[in-house]
Amino acid sequence: MAHVIGIDIGGTFTDAFAADETGRVAGVKTPSTPPDFSQGFLAVLDELAAALETDTRSLLADTDYIVHGTTSTLNALVTGDVATVGFLTTRGHADSISIMNLEGRYAGLGADEVQDMVRTNKPAALVPPQLIREIDERVDHKGAVVVPLDEEGARRAVRELVDAGAQAIAVSLLWSFRNPAHEQRVGEIIAEEAAGLYVALSSDVSPRIREYARSATTIMNTQVGPRLRDYLQPLEAELRARGFSGSLLVMQGSGGCVDSGAAPARAITTIGSVLTGGVVGCMRLAGELGHRNVISTDMGGTTFLAGLVVDGEPVSTTSTVLNQYQLSVPMVDVHTIGAGGGAIAWLDAGHNLRVGPRSAGARPGPACYGEGGTEPTVTDVDLLLGIINPDNFLGGRKKLSRELAEEAVRTHIAEPLGMSMDDAAAAVYAIQNAQTADLVRKVVVTSGQDPRDFVLYAFGGAAPMHCASYAADLEIGEVVVPLGPTAAVFSAYGLAASDIVLTAELSSPTNFPPPPETFNAAFGQLRRELDAQLSEQGLKFASVGYRNEADIRYTMQLAEVETPVPSEELDEAGLETVGAAFGELYERLYGKGAGFSEAGLQLITYRTRAVGGLSIRPRLAEVPPAEGDPRPTSSRRVFLDPRHGWQDAAIYDYRDLAAGHELKGPAVVEAPTTTVALPEGCVGRVDHLGNLVIRYTQA
Amino acid sequence: MPVIPVAGSEEFANRPVSPAETRRAVSDAVRLHDVDAAAVEAVDPLTYEVIRHRLTSITEEMGEALKRMSGSVVVTDCNDFDAAIMDEVGEVVQVGLYNTQLAASLDMAVNWTLRNRCRRPGIGPGDMFLCNDPWVGGGLHQNDVSLFAPLFVDGEIFCWTGAVAHQVDLGGVSPGSWSVAGTDVFWESTPIPPVKIVEGGEIRDDIEDVYLRRSRVPRLVALDLRAKIGANNVAHERLRALCQKYGAATVKAVMRRTMDDAEARLRAKLRELPDGSWSSVAHQDSARAGDREIYKIVLNLTKTGDRLTFDFTGTDPQVDGLINCTYTGLRGGIMPVVLTMLCGDIPWAPGGIARCLDIVSEPGTINNCTFPAGIGKASVASAWATTNVTTECLAGLLDSHPEHRQRLMSACCGTWDFALLAGVDQRGGGFVTMLCDSMAGGLGARADSDGVDTGGLAVIPMGRVADVEMNEFAFPMLYLWRREEPDSGGAGRFRGGVGASSCFIPYDSPVGGVHLVVSAPGKALPLAPGVSGGLPAGTQYDVLLRSTAIRDALAQGRIPTSLDEVGGERELVPVHLETGMGPDDVYYTHWQGGGGYGDPLLRDPAAVAADVAAHKVSRRGAEEVYGVAFDEHGHVVEAATRDRRAALRRRRAGLENEEVPA
Repeated sequence: MAHVIGIDIGGTFTDAFAADETGRVAGVKTPSTPPDFSQGFLAVLDELAAALETDTRSLLADTDYIVHGTTSTLNALVTGDVATVGFLTTRGHADSISIMNLEGRYAGLGADEVQDMVRTNKPAALVPPQLIREIDERVDHKGAVVVPLDEEGARRAVRELVDAGAQAIAVSLLWSFRNPAHEQRVGEIIAEEAAGLYVALSSDVSPRIREYARSATTIMNTQVGPRLRDYLQPLEAELRARGFSGSLLVMQGSGGCVDSGAAPARAITTIGSVLTGGVVGCMRLAGELGHRNVISTDMGGTTFLAGLVVDGEPVSTTSTVLNQYQLSVPMVDVHTIGAGGGAIAWLDAGHNLRVGPRSAGARPGPACYGEGGTEPTVTDVDLLLGIINPDNFLGGRKKLSRELAEEAVRTHIAEPLGMSMDDAAAAVYAIQNAQTADLVRKVVVTSGQDPRDFVLYAFGGAAPMHCASYAADLEIGEVVVPLGPTAAVFSAYGLAASDIVLTAELSSPTNFPPPPETFNAAFGQLRRELDAQLSEQGLKFASVGYRNEADIRYTMQLAEVETPVPSEELDEAGLETVGAAFGELYERLYGKGAGFSEAGLQLITYRTRAVGGLSIRPRLAEVPPAEGDPRPTSSRRVFLDPRHGWQDAAIYDYRDLAAGHELKGPAVVEAPTTTVALPEGCVGRVDHLGNLVIRYTQA
Repeated sequence: MPVIPVAGSEEFANRPVSPAETRRAVSDAVRLHDVDAAAVEAVDPLTYEVIRHRLTSITEEMGEALKRMSGSVVVTDCNDFDAAIMDEVGEVVQVGLYNTQLAASLDMAVNWTLRNRCRRPGIGPGDMFLCNDPWVGGGLHQNDVSLFAPLFVDGEIFCWTGAVAHQVDLGGVSPGSWSVAGTDVFWESTPIPPVKIVEGGEIRDDIEDVYLRRSRVPRLVALDLRAKIGANNVAHERLRALCQKYGAATVKAVMRRTMDDAEARLRAKLRELPDGSWSSVAHQDSARAGDREIYKIVLNLTKTGDRLTFDFTGTDPQVDGLINCTYTGLRGGIMPVVLTMLCGDIPWAPGGIARCLDIVSEPGTINNCTFPAGIGKASVASAWATTNVTTECLAGLLDSHPEHRQRLMSACCGTWDFALLAGVDQRGGGFVTMLCDSMAGGLGARADSDGVDTGGLAVIPMGRVADVEMNEFAFPMLYLWRREEPDSGGAGRFRGGVGASSCFIPYDSPVGGVHLVVSAPGKALPLAPGVSGGLPAGTQYDVLLRSTAIRDALAQGRIPTSLDEVGGERELVPVHLETGMGPDDVYYTHWQGGGGYGDPLLRDPAAVAADVAAHKVSRRGAEEVYGVAFDEHGHVVEAATRDRRAALRRRRAGLENEEVPA
């Protein structure tokens, strides 16, 4: 029986999910094994085989492909444990990566940090000065050569970089995306001078206008590429030795995967791979449940992640910020918008109650963990409000101390503000939920959408305790808490259910509309590139689809709008339709009347995404239907809504529930991996896949 | 010719007016929402924090909307704009993190509009007012155009929102509206006092035409007008929903308390600081093209208890030229530094913060000028110089406290290096643009660390420069380089951040060359002073190289990296200049860094060596200013460094005329 496996390696846990064509699934978890994450990878396979009542060799022999999501590239960049990179660029422009358009001083920081301007700093230099060389060459905005490439100078520079200790070389020349000839020639020279050295050209990695982000992207790609190569090659060999003959695929930030052989050349695209697993999982589950528009919210102990699925597809972004550097990589747009259950409640100098953005993190963690944390966190408050059962946290794996949580809230919040313990805890809970609503709203609105058109999915240990409240604030009518067999390993499920997604783009700024033949030729070129790349994957696809888009803006605007383009060849009328589609998208983003076509339009970038559907799609088994009413295991006092205060709530054990069961709030559902809070006014219904679907029956 | 007073102009000479007085002036012409102190007192911590957070996120959304909708590089790529939420009389509750000069002037424009427009034409739901009259407020010079809108709830003005952004050109003698030869405001874009440009939700075409007709780039200006309308609309929709959910009284109570909170926290911080006086003088070289005089702004800052008094007595009278600023510019010059240095950890609610500040200034002076003095570059001339004196005085104040000194910063990039290009672009269309590269100025040094290299400007926490490729795509130019410049940061125990330079040629314009307007002071003397013995940042340095052989050099495969290599006839560019650039001319502009902190002879020699390796300080600067001695491998020689430094100290004290050892 052919299997598909998803393996998600996070900083703490390695999760795996397997499915076959009949709907038989298994999900397991083991600790991650830094610095050699491949040990955890192999260990979790053994566990998975055990869960499926087989042995690892048989399981691997029966597996068509393994989709791997890894945090290793991201971790490497964050910790700086990367290859020593030499950087080659156009003479006169080496400082671009230290000037950082000056925005590097504050990019990616929260508003509180930006406001404290005096204390802001740029990050450490990407490449030290002794590993940077400028070379004589210049291309202009049309792609014409202004200064021919000084090949001898380039050769000398390469030798100097290698002598200075460069383990890999990044090349980013001005306007190379318009005319890559100089970069390609430099690539050849490097190959001649230092065979086998890892090289990345900006015209390959990020062929898009704006040299600062393009150079930063190429350099970071070069920093992690060799390490990813050195990780994947032995891992794949080991899998082969254990009987695996399928494909090892690596998840990318774009929400799709690529063959492991192709991954290192575009290593930078894997930085979002762990973050996107959850969004892809939502997308697949939403497909099963018939939801087109989904807000994915993942709240764990230390982070809160939000992403969007619109019309069945994850919402992507074309750039992202890492370590305050601007990167140009198409990725699923996952926003880290809060501190999760570890967010600390505190009083500012004006004696105002605040929650986050500082987090107690995994260490020391919330006060109730008893591991040295003394400041009150959202998790402490969840405990005090009766939502978390101290004896059944994470399925009883961690005992929580109510006394320590009380102590923290009393000394830091209740006493200084002269509030009762109950009021203080309730206020922290409500502030956390309202802030979450603000932040989620911002994510939704800045992508031109209205939260009311969405279903909200909530997963991760903490989101289900809060989701009914922030969803109500966003006027969202339906919330899904995935609680079926995927619950504990939702991201791994997302990996196993993913497609091959390849993106090709071509920056060619021009006034819009360009002549139709130029326009069609650009997309034709992208299509050919993608077809070649798809065939390199060595996979059989169940389906292949293409999506074209053009980044268009009003003349001289900073922000382009990614405008969908039909995949057939277009004539002038067709281009007019594209222009009109841009206008409509624009008004949806910024309001009626905001558009001003008289300013003229410009097209900056052409982009095509190819999606190759894999032959096995995991199916989720249905849970048995309910017989009779759900039976609570107990009841306790809980505080879920400031309007209702403390109430008696029925407590349910998720394992007692079956499809069709309906639970009326106030109620709490304790599942092995999380706890779901149902405030008064809402009803939770167990669906045919075991998920809890929450709806408000009254506001 | 000296400026002749204009009778009738005094009604626009606006000053901040108290809420009570505003209410009296408005009387029953329009109803103003209010809450009493008891309601403010009654807001519980939960509701307060929830609504406060939401107001912040609404301000962010406004800024985001404006930035994304605007058509000017100055806005979209350089963040020269801002947005704010104000209460019913215009006190600023929440200001965005963009150009804080601008937002700090919105209150006066709203307040003036209430008092002067409430009867004719009246203020109603869906109305928006446009203003670019710096005597009224809402901006520092005519290029700053604000658009502010009352939000009505139940027939009362509940609050105002406002958006303001730099417009590239609004007429006047010179492209870009900076008439460098001008002597008074009539050379410049004529100020527009508040006019109702949006009525009941619809743009008034007649008023819009009056506004756009003056511009050389009316379409761009029209697009930005829509961006501002959009930003206000976004805010109104959100604020209305907020009032529906929590009740207008509660939301207003939170607004009041936000300002009260900021005020109380600033007062508390001021009380922790010692009382005293600090003084500073800022100079400007040249008031207009051809002028070589020096003009000064004098500040005596006195801190008593929980109040700050800014006394500008002794400042020079207003001058013929374009460098004066109005009272709005004076306030707009003070507020950014008060926000960044005193309020880094206090909510940016200028309505509350301003209550701790007193300003003493004589009308008719260079930073409090009367109509019709020229104010075309007020924002970066006298207002900026006001920022510099404020920086130096506040840094001195903060330096006296062991903890609060963490948030001091020496003066940042001493001025704005204005270079404007105009002409025909590579696509055959007309263009006007301000080159915003010099947004990447150096930040001042701190009491415990170096200033940020190419870190920005004091007045714009989130400034930005466009990529070279974006500029080359948009405008007919080609860069030879854009690079950080060694020694441009003020020397000190902690070094000021370095500034940078750009060097470019006109490129690909069908007419060959481009028109160039330059207004960049700080050439006769440095403008960014150091603190506590730190040295000032370097001066501004601009050069036009005429009739070079640059095109031949490029064709031969050579990219010059110095002015010597560029060749041609060198013209040192004065502070103010309007000229043409031919196809063989090269423009080089080198803007300023930030001031230093502490004695450079106390800087760790290892840090100086690292600066030399990273091209932040030249070898010569390291030896002569920092007194560091190196061996032939560039390593620090400790004993020789000690000797050099001792000799430099003796020389400073005038004790002996000995040679400093090499």
